[in-house]
Amino acid sequence: MYKFTVLIIEDEKNIQTFMNKILKKHEYKILCADSGKEGLSLVRSQCPDIILLDLGLPDMDGSTIIETVRTWSSIPIIVISARSTEREKVAALDLGADDYITKPFGTSELLARIRTSLRHSNRLLTNDSLYIRPYQCGGLILDFSKRLLSIDGKEVHLTPIEYKIVAFLAQNSGKVMTYATILSSIWGPFADDDNKILRVNMANIRRKLESDAAQPKYIFTEVGVGYRMKEDEYEAPGNIPAE
Amino acid sequence: MKKNLIKNLSVTLLCLAVSTALSFLFFHLGNKHSVNIALFYILALIIIALNTDGYIYGITASFFCVAAVNTFFTYPFFKMDFTLDGYPVTFLGMLTIAIITCTITTMLKQQKTTLDEREKKLAEAEKERIRANLLRAVSHDLRTPLTSIIGSSASYMEDYENLTESERLELLSNINEDANWLLNIVENLLTVTRIHNNSGKVKKSPEVVEEVVSEAIARTRKRCPELMISVKMPEAPLTIPMDATLIEQVLINLLENAFVHSHSREPIELIIENYEDKVSFTIRDYGIGIDKSQLPFIFTGTYHDNRGDSYRGRGIGLSICHTIITAHSGTISAGNHENGAEFTFILFKEKGDE
Repeated sequence: MYKFTVLIIEDEKNIQTFMNKILKKHEYKILCADSGKEGLSLVRSQCPDIILLDLGLPDMDGSTIIETVRTWSSIPIIVISARSTEREKVAALDLGADDYITKPFGTSELLARIRTSLRHSNRLLTNDSLYIRPYQCGGLILDFSKRLLSIDGKEVHLTPIEYKIVAFLAQNSGKVMTYATILSSIWGPFADDDNKILRVNMANIRRKLESDAAQPKYIFTEVGVGYRMKEDEYEAPGNIPAE
Repeated sequence: MKKNLIKNLSVTLLCLAVSTALSFLFFHLGNKHSVNIALFYILALIIIALNTDGYIYGITASFFCVAAVNTFFTYPFFKMDFTLDGYPVTFLGMLTIAIITCTITTMLKQQKTTLDEREKKLAEAEKERIRANLLRAVSHDLRTPLTSIIGSSASYMEDYENLTESERLELLSNINEDANWLLNIVENLLTVTRIHNNSGKVKKSPEVVEEVVSEAIARTRKRCPELMISVKMPEAPLTIPMDATLIEQVLINLLENAFVHSHSREPIELIIENYEDKVSFTIRDYGIGIDKSQLPFIFTGTYHDNRGDSYRGRGIGLSICHTIITAHSGTISAGNHENGAEFTFILFKEKGDE
């Protein structure tokens, strides 16, 4: 059986050991690097399937690694970061990281993030576009070909912009999308930096999709970073949903 | 300094010019008594002394006044004449008035600056005291779970063979629980570092309330999976200026408190109300309420419930809530309602007093 290779770039030995143990148990092949330099050379020589990257490395800035890797590869990168630094997270995501996970994290969270990122990268490779199949999560079904959104069988009317936003989040379900990414993909590259218009639209979407705006079921806010739509359940019926 | 000089000079000149002009007017309207004219100048002198720094302006002005009265308004007109009867008395009177007024105002001003300084020092001492209190509470709250973690892990390693499976599990789950508690404290402390950098204020940006609330609930639920909350808020989306991370921390602390300390599994209520200039957040639980005798100390970091809550007190969490809300120029209060405890904090829509 082919095992996915996970590269862990993390300078803290204890955390490395703990992730190593968990991932090994879940049938991943593990590579470890203590420094950015070592990490980069392992990426070049081993071509791992996914990279777990701690931003606070002793020898180089984590974002340099993301930039370097992105010049020649689209290997999914999950950034591991401390909590109080949204700006750092956003910068890493906008540089090309796929997702982030906040220290301290639980094992199930880590595994779910890895699964999501691997699935998204596989989809790219196999050309298996999500456009063909609807997105489904709980009672919510989004049919991309008919541009139709329904909850519990009832059609929900969205404005064209709202539909675009929901569709974009659904196509990237399970991953956090930064304000900047959403803005440029919906309003184009010259969109205003001000994310007010996005927030207004999100507030309207929330009122149409969620029964309780303060305890959403489908689209979650990551304050200061962006939005995350719940993992698509349609294509992974056997898996435990993220979070 | 230069600005002061200009201000003092202009005050002096203006007052003298105005009083001279008034005197001339008065004089030409037919009142030829130099005593009345002198009154104008005395008034001008007092005003000058009150509004300038130091003695020099007042004294110079008094010389001018004496000269002006002498030259313009006493016979012979437009000529200095120091041989008039009683002249030295007028002169001395004006000089005395100027000096006395100057002395009094200077003294007042000096007193004011000393008072201001004392107040500043007091405020700093207060800040220092709060910090010291917080540190004391923190080190106490950190030491207890650490002791338990070190003890449990040590006995696990030393006694490994003698322990039964369930005993091992118990030790490990204790370690896990205490580590999570430590994390809770550390996260709270981290948020405070976002405030105390410079002015004791926070960097605010407009945030959508429901987004902050929903993330806070999700985070709290991670730690307390059985948490039940019913949220009541206005239908229209609300935006208020705040530091979202900090307000989230306040909500998490209050929700977790309500969950852990109410000793009740009734759903917690989170009520958000929109007013013209402010938004209020109320967290209401249906549990045992707060010990009345502790209410005044609840936000000081020294709160310890005597009813069986051990170190997992509300101590740091609440004092940090207080710090955060104060830094937002908002208010926070605690109290009991009929069937439990209730915490309310208010954030203002305007930028407040910044």
